[in-house]
Amino acid sequence: MDARHPLHVFDFLTNPERFMAFSRWAAPMFGVIAAVLAAIGLALTFAAPEDYQQGDTVRMMFIHVPAASLSMFVYLCLGIASFLSLVFRHALADAAAQACAPLGAAFTALALATGSLWGKPMWGTWWVWDARLTSVLVLLLFYLGYLALRGALEDEQKGARAAAILALIGLVNLPIVKFSVEWWNSLHQGSSTLFAKPGNGLPAVYAWPMLVMSLAYLAAFGSLWLVRIRALVWRRKSRALALRLAEN
Amino acid sequence: MHFDFDAGKYAVYVWPAFALSVAAFVWMIADSLLSARHWKAQAQRRQAELDARDAAGKSAS
Repeated sequence: MDARHPLHVFDFLTNPERFMAFSRWAAPMFGVIAAVLAAIGLALTFAAPEDYQQGDTVRMMFIHVPAASLSMFVYLCLGIASFLSLVFRHALADAAAQACAPLGAAFTALALATGSLWGKPMWGTWWVWDARLTSVLVLLLFYLGYLALRGALEDEQKGARAAAILALIGLVNLPIVKFSVEWWNSLHQGSSTLFAKPGNGLPAVYAWPMLVMSLAYLAAFGSLWLVRIRALVWRRKSRALALRLAEN
Repeated sequence: MHFDFDAGKYAVYVWPAFALSVAAFVWMIADSLLSARHWKAQAQRRQAELDARDAAGKSAS
């Protein structure tokens, strides 16, 4: 019987050299997949019919919802990487956390901005302090807080640990974001994709562009995340070499 | 396949949303690639510097 832990198949990612060899081909591969899916997704987006209630604004759904989904998914990645970094003190886990925070902040800001542009013609307002919008704003603040905390402390390791603890605290906000539209009255519509109530799901003509665009965003995140982790691995190597040069 | 690019009275909301998304992706891609290129070049430069110093030290001894 295999005595190794159940996730041993991912062990190759915890060795920096093996990670660099893997990400060298995986990052461009995910990038190409993202570009192809985005081209197909945009074609489906502009081929989809106008909605009988929302008219042409329905096309914003195909860029707003993937950004919003990614804002939560990336935070989950940030939380898991922070946990692994805190518990196992693994340098690559810390780099993974550090690398995904700016991407998550960008997706969250994009979800808020596109949501606001969709909200004005549909709700008559750019912004309301309802549960969904406010909890997503809090999510953005957690991302910005994480980035600020990492940069604020002179001791990089202390900054990383403090930011990792903040990231773990912020995980509490994820179910609030997801289920806010069910727990409280909200202008925001309920889920029409995952966990959609019967009858609330998207028709196929909208579900396909949504699925393809969501996969495009996911692949783009995968590619950019790997590129940013590679940058951090190079940075650490560069700093270690600078120290050796100074010693000599 | 027929494409509908005429957003009518909603164009003022639809196109800025797409433009913002493109801008965000351009920033994410450029920042990630430039950062990776910068740190890789710096690490390689320092490695070459260290190798040259080691080689000079060996030849002197």
